[in-house]
Amino acid sequence: MNLSHVTAVLRREMQEIVKSRGLLLAIFLPPFFITLIPLIAVAILGRVLESESGGDAGDFAQIVQLMPELRTWSVGEVAMFVILQQFLTFFLMMPLIISLSIAAQSIVGEKQNKSLEPLLATPIKTGELLFAKGLAAMLPAVLATWAAFIIFIVVGRFLIASERVFFALLDPKWLIAMLVLAPLLSLLSVNIAVVLSARVNDTRAVQQIGGFVVLPIVLLGVAQTTGFILLNALTFVIGAILIGVIDLLILQLGVRLFQREKILTQWK
Amino acid sequence: MIETQNLTKTFDKFTAVERLTLDVQAGEIFAFLGPNGAGKTTTMRMLACLVAPTSGQASVAGLRVGQDDDAIRARIGILTEAPGLYEKLNAVQNLDFFARLYGLDAAQREKQIKRYLEILGLWERRAEPVGNFSKGMKQKLSIARALLHEPQVVFLDEPTSALDPESAKVVRDFIAALKGEGRTIFLCTHNLDEADRLADHIGVIKKRLIQVDTPENLRRRLYGQRVLFRVREITDAQMDALEGLAFARDVQRNGAALSIALDDPPNMTPLVVNALVAAGAALQEVRQERATLEEVYLDLMGQENTAQ
Repeated sequence: MNLSHVTAVLRREMQEIVKSRGLLLAIFLPPFFITLIPLIAVAILGRVLESESGGDAGDFAQIVQLMPELRTWSVGEVAMFVILQQFLTFFLMMPLIISLSIAAQSIVGEKQNKSLEPLLATPIKTGELLFAKGLAAMLPAVLATWAAFIIFIVVGRFLIASERVFFALLDPKWLIAMLVLAPLLSLLSVNIAVVLSARVNDTRAVQQIGGFVVLPIVLLGVAQTTGFILLNALTFVIGAILIGVIDLLILQLGVRLFQREKILTQWK
Repeated sequence: MIETQNLTKTFDKFTAVERLTLDVQAGEIFAFLGPNGAGKTTTMRMLACLVAPTSGQASVAGLRVGQDDDAIRARIGILTEAPGLYEKLNAVQNLDFFARLYGLDAAQREKQIKRYLEILGLWERRAEPVGNFSKGMKQKLSIARALLHEPQVVFLDEPTSALDPESAKVVRDFIAALKGEGRTIFLCTHNLDEADRLADHIGVIKKRLIQVDTPENLRRRLYGQRVLFRVREITDAQMDALEGLAFARDVQRNGAALSIALDDPPNMTPLVVNALVAAGAALQEVRQERATLEEVYLDLMGQENTAQ
């Protein structure tokens, strides 16, 4: 692999992202809201719930059943814990949404702009181009997710009065989620964008169709809040393996589609 | 510099190019003429290693298509039908990106970008987003992009299409200048006048190669050579005199003008002039006629359609 080709494409993609208001919004808005909303929730609801320290934790019986260590917690603490877990799950939507927006623009945008042919006529290999485009979509998404998570933890330290609730945020499962799952989910979005780009001519269509990929994450969050499942380090490791396998399968399909001749003659 | 042997490309059951055999010499402009869907762009894409031939062989700059594709792509420049520029980026950023892909170092990039932007009159607008450029400016920038790495062979697909006459002239003059630098230029065009003015050889294609020759020989081969004699008034005596000249063939009368096919115009024209003057003609004009390339092209296409 010629790294100068990869860095040239990466550099150009970044130049375009910086000049695209739509992409900048797509990169900054999801982390902003996904970080801000739970912090506001913690700031407002936290104090209300803490005042009910003498309440009955039986309101969260199903969750307490899954996590017996919560039995000694107050209702307020359990409620805040549940809210935070819910929102932390939504952090996993960030790499999906951001990567999908960038990858859709990067690939379908070039297709619409008819700039792929002159690009493919250069000595760059299609693998290098695909790798660079994937990296250009993944880097901002993963970095934005990590930055949002760090901001959330740092600000949360001041807003979450309960030490137990705060330290629950530092559970290793969230490290697995951020360091392993987030990049894999980001790659999933890139792969989906590549596959869809072969058939779709509109950036928005890729985002709309590809947007369904966030549904499992939403369902995961809801299932956890309602106490149907317990997300722990093991479930995240299993999830990462599963998504890794799906990534590999879709990546193979994407590599097969992302060939010079197919792009120029078969992509519609 | 460019050679093909029975080059063929089929897409499923559709044959885009059939058994194309060509030999384009180094330093010449080769114009590829043909209607829409004739296989011009597909041929160019095969030679630029963008699509693989189904059968046959081709070489560009001494390298084999299908075997040395990366090396070929590094030695050629290509102007695609659509400019395909990054509209949010400025002219320098667009060119810098491609210069990096062609492996130019920082000093070469700076020098080459400045050189071509100045030659093509875009240096003053170098910092503007390309989206603000006119069609002509975009086309010029695309040409600059194709030349940054000083390729030996340049493929130009419809370089003046959709350009205003002034921009088209700038681009045509620039193509002629490129030939002066010793580059080989493969020009796909619909513009017959452009091919006539620029090309050393013309290939007429409609899936398969119909004719290939110099523009002049194409005319001669199809139309022979004709000389026009304009007189004040054509009389029967003059027509009788012409009938007496066995070498004066296919005499066509149009008002006061006579168009005559002659195999050897330099030697035969004075004989015709003598005969006409002896028959009392007041000659006003004598000149060799040139069929337009359009007439040649349409004739070839007509023959091809009949053959099919």
